[in-house]
Amino acid sequence: MTLAPSIADESDLSDESRTRQPKNRNDTESSLINSLREGDDRAYESLVRIYGPQVLSVARRYLRSEADAADCFQETFLAIFQGIEKFEQRSSLRHWIRGVTINHCLMRIRKSQRLRENSIDHMLPVFDERGSRVEIAGPRDITAIGDSLDKQQRRNLVREHINKLPQDFRVVLLLRDIDGYTTWEAATILGISTSALKTRLHRARSALKFRLEPIMEQTNFHADL
Amino acid sequence: MLTCKEFDAFMVDYLDGGLPVWQKFMCWMHVKMCRECAYFVQQYRRAVALGQDAFDTPDDAVPDSVPEELVKAALAHRKAR
Repeated sequence: MTLAPSIADESDLSDESRTRQPKNRNDTESSLINSLREGDDRAYESLVRIYGPQVLSVARRYLRSEADAADCFQETFLAIFQGIEKFEQRSSLRHWIRGVTINHCLMRIRKSQRLRENSIDHMLPVFDERGSRVEIAGPRDITAIGDSLDKQQRRNLVREHINKLPQDFRVVLLLRDIDGYTTWEAATILGISTSALKTRLHRARSALKFRLEPIMEQTNFHADL
Repeated sequence: MLTCKEFDAFMVDYLDGGLPVWQKFMCWMHVKMCRECAYFVQQYRRAVALGQDAFDTPDDAVPDSVPEELVKAALAHRKAR
């Protein structure tokens, strides 16, 4: 199995992302890796039980259906089982596994038959002939927003809006703003230039802003952020 | 002074703090002088913060466990290979 330009490749990790990892590797992690390399069945089961929740959580975030997340879970662990020999322990096992998971999510997204997705052009900034910003007022879905949206309802609504973004834009937003990858890392993962990544990110954020305006117009929405 | 369109092209780098000093100053000046862009930047930042907050909730955190059938299927998948 060939991975796409990959955060699973440890050499792709920037110094910044490395600093997110603890400096001293846990002995338990090294011991688990050694057991996996020896083909110990119990170690494989431990690996799935320890890191399975993380893999499933990431897969659910990137993929829109539970069935796709479950399939990605299987594919990811198969890739981990096959790739553990090559894992050089320059990043933590957790970080490596997260990278493998995201790669598999992205491969699944790329392979899936691309449905015709709604354009976000009408949600993007508009400028007049002099380059001045023009206020855009499009139809906005305010029906789902009641007078008093509690914190959890608001979070669910925001997630729905993110999930409604076209895949290319949703993925960029998840990589950069949610999973915290740098521009360079996210561009490498997606196999695009950093300038293309920034353009796509700006469009994704602008579309999200457009979609969330009804929520943001609610008073005190940010008081508990 | 930058036009709104020119400022918009710099926005990701401006908010990330990734611009050279002079461009950063030009953007800062634009935001100070342009009410529309100042409002846009404010709402843009809030939208990003709302997105981050939406995925930082207890029920979206790593689940305690994985359905047993998924664990078994992953292990069986390995043996099949």
